[in-house]
Amino acid sequence: MTATALSKMVGSREGGILERVVLAVTFGLVVLFAVFIDGFATTGNLRVVLSNSASLVMLSCGMAVVIISRGLDLSLIAQMVAGATIFSVMVSGGSPASVALLVAIVAMALVGFVNAFLIAYVGISAMLATLASAMFVTGVFRFAILRGEFILLLPKSNPAVMFLAGNILPGVTVPVALMIVTLIATALLLKVSTAGSVIYAMGDNYQAARLTGLPVRRATVIVYVFASITALLAGLVTSAASGAVDFRTVSSGTLLFDVILVVVLGGIPLRGGRGGIRNILIGAALIAVLRNGMTLMNFTTQTQDALRGLVLILAIVIDNYLNPRDTETDTVGDL
Amino acid sequence: MDYTIVKRIRGAAMALVLSASVALGSAGTTSAGTDIAGKKVIFIPIAMGISLTEGWARRMKEDAALHGYTLEIRDPAFSSSAMAELLAKAISEKPDVLVVHNPTVQLLARQIKQAEAAGIKVLQLNLQSNQPSSAFVGANWTRIGHDVAEDIVKECGAGSGKSGKVAIIPGQLTAADSVMLNDAAFKVFKDHPEIQVVSNQASDWEPEKARQITATVLQQNPDLCAIFGHWDVHTMGAGHAVKDAGLEDKVLVYATGGGDNVTCKAVEDKILDRVWSYDADGQGRDAATMIDLLLQGASAKDGSMLSVDSPMKIIKAGPTYDASLCWKM
Repeated sequence: MTATALSKMVGSREGGILERVVLAVTFGLVVLFAVFIDGFATTGNLRVVLSNSASLVMLSCGMAVVIISRGLDLSLIAQMVAGATIFSVMVSGGSPASVALLVAIVAMALVGFVNAFLIAYVGISAMLATLASAMFVTGVFRFAILRGEFILLLPKSNPAVMFLAGNILPGVTVPVALMIVTLIATALLLKVSTAGSVIYAMGDNYQAARLTGLPVRRATVIVYVFASITALLAGLVTSAASGAVDFRTVSSGTLLFDVILVVVLGGIPLRGGRGGIRNILIGAALIAVLRNGMTLMNFTTQTQDALRGLVLILAIVIDNYLNPRDTETDTVGDL
Repeated sequence: MDYTIVKRIRGAAMALVLSASVALGSAGTTSAGTDIAGKKVIFIPIAMGISLTEGWARRMKEDAALHGYTLEIRDPAFSSSAMAELLAKAISEKPDVLVVHNPTVQLLARQIKQAEAAGIKVLQLNLQSNQPSSAFVGANWTRIGHDVAEDIVKECGAGSGKSGKVAIIPGQLTAADSVMLNDAAFKVFKDHPEIQVVSNQASDWEPEKARQITATVLQQNPDLCAIFGHWDVHTMGAGHAVKDAGLEDKVLVYATGGGDNVTCKAVEDKILDRVWSYDADGQGRDAATMIDLLLQGASAKDGSMLSVDSPMKIIKAGPTYDASLCWKM
């Protein structure tokens, strides 16, 4: 069967095929796991899947917006941990949670602004600029704020920690509520705001967007500051849930891998210009279901990593097969 | 199971004295302050910035300042490749003693052999490589794994009225402690078929991964009886999941660790229930003493490894809880 025939069969415009394949695979896995794994198809497990995926979805929202604008933010996890560090250090030191949150938002917005400034005004590539800022942020926070410590442990008895890890409504945890808020904010930014139109235009053809007078630099600032705030929110819920701010999350790299995996699997191409929250939800659903099922099946962490890597390779191969590169996509260049 | 801490401490002290007498032999009395001044020691931990290694470093620095030898700390910050590079560089500098903290049983084996062949005495601290060297100071992981498993059998096994279900959360499956803890625990569980290990998934030492694994496993096994985490820091993530599920009075959370005051706080907060502490502060002193001995030329007569087992402290929640078992930086 040719790629064209398959495209016709799934009845999709270009770019939507991968997300349909991923959606079908996710559905297949859900059915398979529900039949063969004891305890998978329960409301309790659904709550665990949602709770465990909340920070991943928030980070993916930030990364998706960046990638749609034809950028990349490798400092997202460093910002997540750094934001959580500011909040945790201040709250543990007796500051009111609202003040700590405000300071953390300002600090992370500053990091996002610096990233955008380096990319849009200095002209450094997004990959190099954010890689450098990830190292800088990690180094500064570890040595200046944590005084060399890798892990900051939070007492479960702290009211701010209890709030962030608890329920906001019966059956709805704060992490899940924040995840929904982030998804809505992402949808509003991309689909309703003027900045959203500029972001898609930048992703489609950056040079054309710039030459037509669109405010691409201002949009870049909005994109990277938005990503920073999503990273902060993800950091807050993760640290409150696990009771620890852990800088090894930055160096291990698996979370950043998962975030990019969610975005790519969901059908947002790395060359940008396409995608929305539907894609994030589809990508996150596959990763969340896969992770949950593999944990319930008692697969080792290494096996889980290998299988996730395999899924990513398969997704890219399928994407390349169904959406072969043409002259345009080859010349504009990928990241 | 009851431990007599005093006996353990005495055992360790005797081991040190024995090591010294075996090693120094006819060398007679030594004056550490004069004999070892000016010598060079390099310490390469898995990473600084955690209470375990900071606690060791504090005692070793104090000893170096007291006796006049230099102690250099090279921090690979959890990077295996950086650790191998730092060790290669350290070997090329030919220090008198190299102190290493093995992340896995295999990673540094070749370099430890190379260092020993070059006449550098290698002290392995707490986590042992497959490759023997001049000395080892650290926890007896086999004993801990056996004792924790025995305690789990007592609490969850036949006659306990519990499910017998146990989840194990190692750090990394190839880390020395995880390998030995699991081997010893599974040997005990083999004789108790009522104990069912429902999950054995590594957390990569990360509390968040341990939390996510535990939250998922608890959904599948709400009657879980015990969790055995191989390091208190990542096990705290598992403890948070247990507490969030409202099962802190039903699921026993076991861990091992260096026993600083954060561990005691976690026990007070019902995040951890029972911690086999190898007392990192005491280990730091033992390591410093072993460095003194190695710098004075100590070695086992048969060429085997001088070894000091760390005395254990068992920190238990409940009426016997004793906060003084933890140390503070």
